[in-house]
Amino acid sequence: MKSKALYTFLSVVTLGLSIALLLGIKALTTSFEYQIENNLAGIDLVVGAKGSPLQLVLASVLHMDNPTGNINYNEAKKIAKNPLVKTAVPISYGDNYKGYKIVGTTDDFASLYNAKLATGATPNKSMQVVLGHTVAEQLHLKLGDHILSAHDLVEKSEEVHDEELEVVGIYAPTHTVIDRLITTKLESVWDLHHHEEEEHHEEEHDEHEEAHHETKHQHNEKKEITSLLLSFTSPIGLLTLPRRINEKTNMQAALPKYELDKLYQYTGVGLKTVLWIAYLILVISSLTLFVSFYKMVKERAFDLALLRTYGASNFQLVRMILYEGIIIGVLAYLTGFLISKIGVSVLLQSIQTNQIQNLAQGLPFMAYLQIAGLIFTVIILSILLAIYPIIKMNISTILSHEK
Amino acid sequence: MVRTTDVTFSYPKKTAVFNFPDIDLNEGENLLILGKSGIGKTTLLHLLAGLLQPASGAITIDHNRLNSFSSNKLDRFRGLNIGLVFQKNYAIQSLSVIDNLQARLLFSRKSMNKTFVFDLLKQLDLLALKNSKPNELSEGQLQRLGIAMAVVHYPQVILADEPTSSLDDENCKLVIELLLQQAKRTNANLIVITHDHRIKSLFSKSIVL
Repeated sequence: MKSKALYTFLSVVTLGLSIALLLGIKALTTSFEYQIENNLAGIDLVVGAKGSPLQLVLASVLHMDNPTGNINYNEAKKIAKNPLVKTAVPISYGDNYKGYKIVGTTDDFASLYNAKLATGATPNKSMQVVLGHTVAEQLHLKLGDHILSAHDLVEKSEEVHDEELEVVGIYAPTHTVIDRLITTKLESVWDLHHHEEEEHHEEEHDEHEEAHHETKHQHNEKKEITSLLLSFTSPIGLLTLPRRINEKTNMQAALPKYELDKLYQYTGVGLKTVLWIAYLILVISSLTLFVSFYKMVKERAFDLALLRTYGASNFQLVRMILYEGIIIGVLAYLTGFLISKIGVSVLLQSIQTNQIQNLAQGLPFMAYLQIAGLIFTVIILSILLAIYPIIKMNISTILSHEK
Repeated sequence: MVRTTDVTFSYPKKTAVFNFPDIDLNEGENLLILGKSGIGKTTLLHLLAGLLQPASGAITIDHNRLNSFSSNKLDRFRGLNIGLVFQKNYAIQSLSVIDNLQARLLFSRKSMNKTFVFDLLKQLDLLALKNSKPNELSEGQLQRLGIAMAVVHYPQVILADEPTSSLDDENCKLVIELLLQQAKRTNANLIVITHDHRIKSLFSKSIVL
């Protein structure tokens, strides 16, 4: 009796574990896919400084890495004028506020992510910012607050600009990367760094006002941005423009979908390994289940034969065992579901940084149904194999041997 | 009403063939089948219960020829019309006395007549133990539970396989009297197979194999 309870417990635990892993992997995959898909926001091409295309995409689309460098804004504008380009959104950054990146851009940036203002307005002049939903929530900022940006993208940067940025708007949640960004006009970023350069030049050329004016003129000529986010009117743009940019300019064009798919394939190896482990555990648990039921059928052979003498048909006996299997399956599924929910939530909490947000995505009903279908197929197969002795049972022999 | 005609049986991969004498019992009649070990007594009992199929011949209970039934129909027929008593009595260990009887009725697709069941338990001196588990019963109490299980569904035939072989004279007589009493009460045919000659005098009809 104790060994039966132990086998049942083991079956529930191992089955539950494999269900948890299968659901967990599915949830993680769905969450990552959603995260990437959602943050692509219709961006077909990213144009930035030469370097790693993946780094450019991570920095410009997911805002997860340092940019490869800056590009000349005037050069970028020439690309934006191409008739194949539907939208061109420049972004420029290099500062942060308490770890949240400050992105200088145009109003079109918010449209990429369908971000709507929850309160306030969009900036109409330099040094005004709109906060993403998470930023406002986490830092308890409200309209009219003033913030001092820190140089660099590192949260604990000690170089803080003197100029204050005023909060004029807060976006409603979008579950995209914009939730964790502080957006402002391009001019704000340029002004912040222009003042910095001015101070630098003032120190060096305090007595040469002419030289100072020359520097200001050069600055206007050399306005820089981090990257340009493009979407095309036609797929032909994807075929022609990237090559032209890469070959004929000192900028690089990176395809975000391609780069992120590649990244996902690399990182997906780990998930695939865990998935195979989950299948392996499923096989082991179905074997445990089979042994448990087979043992039960063997040990209860006389009871089952006795039930046959009471008028129970083979089908009734099989149904009794099936019910037991289904109860184990349901218990295992509930256990697995709970473990996966807790596990995925803990895992995502631990990897969620200022750069990644709202990773957890609920699985579609079909995914739950598919895994439930797989588990119950395995259970029913294990039971059918285990109950074969019932079907072949010779009641007379069993009853005679027990005499 | 039990009738057998020219029943033979042989076990697979064995050359020995059992040829059984014909049985002809009218309603309410009882039969003792005597024979030494290995003569085929239990085989005959299992044939009568439909647990084995004869190689040839016919077994008829209440005008129903058992070997014409499909497996499922035979199971149903057995559940409704036949009660079996074993030498060593078994019951489902996880169920109480009353639940075992209820399970027996459930598989016979009969509802429980509480008055009848309680009366039966009282006659078999088991009423006070109705909520006890089989492992809490003595051998004698288990034997009586076996009888209760065999008659609770009002069978047409009660088949008992060596019900007295391990009992002393007093208990041997008691068990057979209980079986006869229950058979009479349900107007069933009682067929007892045994090698125990002590009970021969209690049966008006007997066959020696």
